[in-house]
Amino acid sequence: MTSQPSLALRPATASPGYPASEHDEHSGTQRAESGLKPGTADHRVILFLLDNPGQAWISEALSRAVAQRGQQSLAVRLTPGRGETADEAVAATLAHSPNPGTLRLLTTTSPAVAQTSRCNHIVLAVPANLSGIVTAYRRIKRLADTATPNLGVIVMGSRDQHSAWRYFRKLAVGTLRYLDIPLLNLGFLPARAADHQGDTGLARVGERLLHCKFHSQYRPDRPGTPEPATE
Amino acid sequence: MKLHIQKAERCDREVLRTLLIDAADQLAGEGSCLLELRLPWDGNLILLADTRARPILISFDPDNSQAALINGLQAADRLAIALPWANKVYAPLQNRQETLKLIVISDDAPPGSDAVLAGNPGLTLFTCKVLRVNDDLGVLLKRIDRPIVRSDLAAVPTPEPAESTQAGVPVDETLPSLSPEERLYFRQL
Repeated sequence: MTSQPSLALRPATASPGYPASEHDEHSGTQRAESGLKPGTADHRVILFLLDNPGQAWISEALSRAVAQRGQQSLAVRLTPGRGETADEAVAATLAHSPNPGTLRLLTTTSPAVAQTSRCNHIVLAVPANLSGIVTAYRRIKRLADTATPNLGVIVMGSRDQHSAWRYFRKLAVGTLRYLDIPLLNLGFLPARAADHQGDTGLARVGERLLHCKFHSQYRPDRPGTPEPATE
Repeated sequence: MKLHIQKAERCDREVLRTLLIDAADQLAGEGSCLLELRLPWDGNLILLADTRARPILISFDPDNSQAALINGLQAADRLAIALPWANKVYAPLQNRQETLKLIVISDDAPPGSDAVLAGNPGLTLFTCKVLRVNDDLGVLLKRIDRPIVRSDLAAVPTPEPAESTQAGVPVDETLPSLSPEERLYFRQL
């Protein structure tokens, strides 16, 4: 009988759900250089709860954007296999790319997977329309059934920053009023990768994620958990 | 032969239900089919499917338009949650997970119908008058025009189709419904 991997989840060091100070001196590069030692430290994970599979480009593009800031990162689709829990699927992705200094950007379109993954830093990609806002709200409501995750929002496909802000504000006021959950505004991106012009939006979102230390920390600290190896 | 047309004095709900089913082609398009004569929720409800395999929910009340609208919205919300199940149960829906359409019918337009229509592209309002033609009953339906078309508003919030993380084992992806306060808040941007 093989032992199942177990993971303990701890909150990130930054204030959950709120941006760090604008004068935070930790850049992505510095954090990468002071990287966590393999085998002894936490793995840093952000879970992207996408509105549809077509948004998978977001995590891949963001992975490249944060890499340009010196932060090693890896975009991985989280797909629990037969009989596998979301947590075990997370453990598997950590095992396949075991350098704990790497920021893992996991993606799923399944609220159920997000809910059971115990990843408490979740980014929602929300289409810039009222239907998208309502669906995102209902997803957050579901997530809040079992825990209160730290939630960041990327508004997808808005005309401009002002329009994105209106959609974000509608959602954020709703979640704060009815669910008592604050949201972190991570910015806005075009609806499709093909519409993307320049990397300004991506750089802004990536910088925000790094600046706010918006990630969960998984620590494989129980017997039977595979020891991460060095890359 | 002379036609004596006059408004029926009072129309029983079940009579109106029959008349509306007879007028299903006018409401849901030609070739539509009846899925459920009534649903086990508040109000007077009928479930149809049109030829594009879209579920059409009809909520009617012969003399209380507000009740017809509110019961219709509540039932639409419930049905939206149950849509993956409904798609499996009702063959005419062809498991295509189409968005639910709601039709509300009453003797008059419900209060605030302009705002309701503007915020719900999937909603259609009809007024109805039951007429007696000689000895037969008929229903005169008149569609209430949509004042503003806003493409970015949702018809009825619908859950995502059930997703499988593994073959043959569906994961419960049902999303919680909105409370009346939440529904009101999210009615418009």
